Amino acid sequence: MTFTSWQFGVFAAIVFGAYYLPPFRAFQVQLLVLASLVFYGYGQPELLPLLAVAVVGTYLFLILALRNRRVWLPAGIAFNLLLLAFFKYKFLFISSAAGNYTGIATIDFLLHLPLPIGISFFVFHNISLLVDLTKRKAAADLTSIFLYIIFFPQLVAGPITRAETFMPQIKPKYLADVPFVEAAKWILVGFFFKLYVANNLNEMTSYMDFPLYETLRTQDRWLLVFLYSYQIYSDFFGYSAIAIGFGLLFGYRLQINFNLPYIAQSFSEFWTRWHISLSNWLRNYLYIPLGGNRHGTLRTYLNLVIVMGLGGLWHGAAFSYLTWGLMHGLLLVAERPFLARFGKINWAAFRAIRAGFVFFCVTILWIFFKLPNFGHALSYLHGMFIPSTNPNPPKLFYDLALLYSLPVMLQHLLPQERFGKALQRIEPYLYGAMAALMYLEAGPDTAFIYFQF
Amino acid sequence: MSMSAIRWFAKCALTSALILFACGLATAWFGNGLELPATTTSDGTLTTLDRYVRGPTPNVVLVGSSLTFRLKEEYFSTAGVRNLALAGGSPVTGFEIVANQPHLPKIILVEMNILSRATDKALVEKFSNGGKADPLFFRPVRTAVAAYENWKHKPPDHAQIILALDRLLKQPPSNFDNRVYADRAFKEMNAEDPTVAAGINVMHIQHLLSAVERRGTRVQFFELPYSDRLEESRSVRITHEIVHNAFPDPDRWLKIDYPRSELRWSDGVHLDERSALIVSQSIDRALVSMPGSM
Repeated sequence: MTFTSWQFGVFAAIVFGAYYLPPFRAFQVQLLVLASLVFYGYGQPELLPLLAVAVVGTYLFLILALRNRRVWLPAGIAFNLLLLAFFKYKFLFISSAAGNYTGIATIDFLLHLPLPIGISFFVFHNISLLVDLTKRKAAADLTSIFLYIIFFPQLVAGPITRAETFMPQIKPKYLADVPFVEAAKWILVGFFFKLYVANNLNEMTSYMDFPLYETLRTQDRWLLVFLYSYQIYSDFFGYSAIAIGFGLLFGYRLQINFNLPYIAQSFSEFWTRWHISLSNWLRNYLYIPLGGNRHGTLRTYLNLVIVMGLGGLWHGAAFSYLTWGLMHGLLLVAERPFLARFGKINWAAFRAIRAGFVFFCVTILWIFFKLPNFGHALSYLHGMFIPSTNPNPPKLFYDLALLYSLPVMLQHLLPQERFGKALQRIEPYLYGAMAALMYLEAGPDTAFIYFQF
Repeated sequence: MSMSAIRWFAKCALTSALILFACGLATAWFGNGLELPATTTSDGTLTTLDRYVRGPTPNVVLVGSSLTFRLKEEYFSTAGVRNLALAGGSPVTGFEIVANQPHLPKIILVEMNILSRATDKALVEKFSNGGKADPLFFRPVRTAVAAYENWKHKPPDHAQIILALDRLLKQPPSNFDNRVYADRAFKEMNAEDPTVAAGINVMHIQHLLSAVERRGTRVQFFELPYSDRLEESRSVRITHEIVHNAFPDPDRWLKIDYPRSELRWSDGVHLDERSALIVSQSIDRALVSMPGSM
């Protein structure tokens, strides 16, 4: 079930209606768990047992790790990583088209299972749960653990909430406490960015796919990379905003996942603004345990590259994702010696140049995201620097591209301090206009980009 | 919920309703006549089909795949030619949509090259019989862009088109090196076995053919040329054999004659602009020489 389907609208309305009814108050957590199972199993019911195995397995490891953290915490983490590796990276070693691999029906059935939606996200939730709760020596019941891992707004694409921030929120909820306006703002802005911006831009950026990109003119290749940069932001920001909005409706405050990433003046700042929950997870559970910046300059650089490389691979078992992550790691390393010096220069023009440079590099690297086939990504990149010779290039409407990208540009570039008060006054009208526009101008329905991870 | 929240929601809902009302009113007054810019080929398909079901019934309709899609209507000197070919689609989809209309053209030309694709049932459903229902609201952004594009780039008049086509014909054939694309196309079409799909499509075509001929419309088949190498591919050979076995009568086939050495396929499969013009003109000539035609 996706957020943009009518089925989700009906589902959310029913669950919300039942959730705050007095007879259900004692069973709110159970109701949310049940609703999350329905939400997840709606499209892929055959994967529900896998979800159960992941959650119950993690719960068992948690109980054991609370008794002996040294032994069972690494075992619990390994259990989750193996689960992720099995589903995500098995096709590196076996062909998806092959019939029977082993001749043993159960194993062949497992090998044939598709990539479970959201596995990368719930596995990270599981690890966070094991680490945080065993550190605080805090036990939790199975239902609460189920809720933390499979809470439906965040189940398939995050935000990757930390157990230590989510678990304390599990308590009785009251309708009077729901921040309706705040939730509505998140939900409206999320749907607007997904339906109006991302889905419409997706129509244009579909020309970046192989072999269509071979027909593009050189300048259009450049344009489409920037449009994809806006699209992926709108798509993922949109999803995260909707998740936060629905979280609030059920009394849970999920972590903010995006904070105007395209105005970042350095790559390290970019990663504090883009997919913040993943950056935090990688920092807390990978970078710091690896030693972080505590073991000298060279080790710090190595840690950065390792973390970003693994972060890239987390997105998928493809060389393109690894390259994307490693390139980000190298950029983080390259800028590190200059950060303090650049931070002292307080000219607006210099800050704009820095932000422009970071945005440019980040955007170019999205090519490896859009084209997971490394050869295709390189071929696309190569075509950006040579004149095109194809006699029948497709026509792209630049004015349409501008109008569909405009919300991202305005969101990033409007100075908050100058327009903040004025925007506050017209806020309800603005959200009303967004609601109308996302209905009138919605692009063709497409899955959220991060669903594939 | 507090009063301030209720006020917030009221303002938000009112704004939304007002915009929807304004767009609905504008749609009722001005209609949906403006052709919106197509950003993808599927978009273009919808525009083409929409134009067909709304407009007057033409004399000649071409249905086909992306191969026929390249034969632009302005290339034909025969009056009232409509090209309903669907890029990425099956010729049968277009044929069925035309056959389901209350009024039929005099001649339907059916491309028989690509029969390995299934009929797009959703598209047939959308544009058959009840497919003319206007949407309640127009798309404000696309309509604004369409209006701007129409104002900025006025379509050329007939004389300008003739001049441009003349200039195109006078150019030598393109020397664009298409080897990479041609190799890839050959590999793909050599790997494909269209037997089952083409068999189903041929049966469907036979059914549609008798239905429209009963209503007085003439149906002619045609095959567009491939490059020599692609003609040898498995998919092309099998399709050719199936369709000629199913429809052996030579009079059922449009006799098109073109200087083959002048033709080029820039992407290995589709005719380039100049070649498409040459083939369109040969179809023109064939239409004129058809007994009892135009």
